[in-house]
Amino acid sequence: MIGLPRAGIVAALVLAALGHGHAATIDLNRIFDIGKDVATAASGLSEDEEIAVGREVAGRTLGAAPLVADPELQAYVNQVGRWVAAQTERPDLPWHFGVIASPAINAFAAPGGYVLVTRGLYEILDNEAQLAGVLGHEIGHIVRRHHITVMQQSAAVSAGAKIAQGGDRSYLVNNLIGTGAEVLARGLDKDAEFEADRVGVILAARAGYDPYALVDVLQKLAARGQDDQALVLLFKTHPAPGERLNHLGDALTPRIAQLPSGAAPALRQVSAPATAPAAAKPVPIEGARALQQEAPAAPAQSSQDSGSGGIDGGAILRGIFGR
Amino acid sequence: MTRRPAILAAALVAMVLGAASAGAAEQVTVERESRLYAEPRLDARELAVLAPGVVADVAGKSGAWLNVRTPSAAGWVFSFNVRFGTKSSGAAPVSSGAEDSAIGRVFGPRRDVNVTSTIGVRGLDSEDLRQAHFNAEQMKLLDGYALSKDAAEQGARAKGLSAAQVDYLEGASR
Repeated sequence: MIGLPRAGIVAALVLAALGHGHAATIDLNRIFDIGKDVATAASGLSEDEEIAVGREVAGRTLGAAPLVADPELQAYVNQVGRWVAAQTERPDLPWHFGVIASPAINAFAAPGGYVLVTRGLYEILDNEAQLAGVLGHEIGHIVRRHHITVMQQSAAVSAGAKIAQGGDRSYLVNNLIGTGAEVLARGLDKDAEFEADRVGVILAARAGYDPYALVDVLQKLAARGQDDQALVLLFKTHPAPGERLNHLGDALTPRIAQLPSGAAPALRQVSAPATAPAAAKPVPIEGARALQQEAPAAPAQSSQDSGSGGIDGGAILRGIFGR
Repeated sequence: MTRRPAILAAALVAMVLGAASAGAAEQVTVERESRLYAEPRLDARELAVLAPGVVADVAGKSGAWLNVRTPSAAGWVFSFNVRFGTKSSGAAPVSSGAEDSAIGRVFGPRRDVNVTSTIGVRGLDSEDLRQAHFNAEQMKLLDGYALSKDAAEQGARAKGLSAAQVDYLEGASR
């Protein structure tokens, strides 16, 4: 499945060739081989690669904010999240859920099935149906591959840079994450957020929860306002909650009479004391390393070199509430 | 001493907005023109059409519906057509501190939340994410909490939840 416009790849190749000092000596066959590789990595990302990319992003996010030290809470969130994820067309991804130690109100999805909710968000929720709605929104980003789409767009732009480097696959994936981070820092397409809201509502309903619980969460966010420090990143990366309510309302109105009312079980309380996020230590890039093993032609790029170039932090994430 | 101005202000706001009930009424402002129904059903009798900007007291909630009262009418509106609070309180209809009085009582019992009071503790921002490094220990923990599909389903059934067939919503924005 090639999602990247072929014309875009060709344009990138031409631009790269023109901008390169050795343009006159470039082996055209080699360029076309690499071009094919770029196309594969950027648009035809396999599920394993998608998971590897997501795992890297999730691990980096945990480097910024570790899991809340409450094993029962984490098990509980995995039970709810896994059950909601089972209602999707990708029920067998390696789904992982976690509550991270941050007072910010946000949630993050990384490709391949990784969902992290901040403690700040968890603690404004009133019931399990609201948690299911929030997780459903994040699961929606993953199921619909929203981050991958953003990365593809970035990869198309940077395909030329890649060609100058040679053609190994791990470089391509690193490049996907690295450039994707820049795109995500600007925020996602609004439509992706509206779509994730629509998916979240329905996934919660399929899992037997009150489908309108996500509406309640959006009302809470709307009521907190733009000045709330806990919402800085969320408001930066998402349409305003009021706008999301309008879109969701438009989609829900014709279905109001048919949607099941669903249940809203009690939410498990956090029992761990609130602590400041611990500083993270740099460690090898696990996902990239795994991919390098599949790529015998990898150049001598240190897997420890996570601070420069290649993968740019967890900023790839989609928060939910975003991204 | 410092209470008096606050009480006075609250009284003034209540008077200006024509709040029917005394004290901290939960109020919403109509965001989009909304039909007011006699019951929380689309086939119920339509009582009125509420214009944007109308302020109403909230008396209850049922699924997607809010039971509201204006000085001239009472009935049910879609909850996503209103915003909690009033425009007079600025862009944020209800401040974080006052949230307990409005949304909390409508959406359910609020727990003691210590989120916005952690002044000085910076939340997770884009710079934190950009500079973060992979934490293998934490990933191991995350892996350990993962659950199988079957185990998750058992957990759901134990809570009385069962799966329902529901089609995805049509994308109105696309």
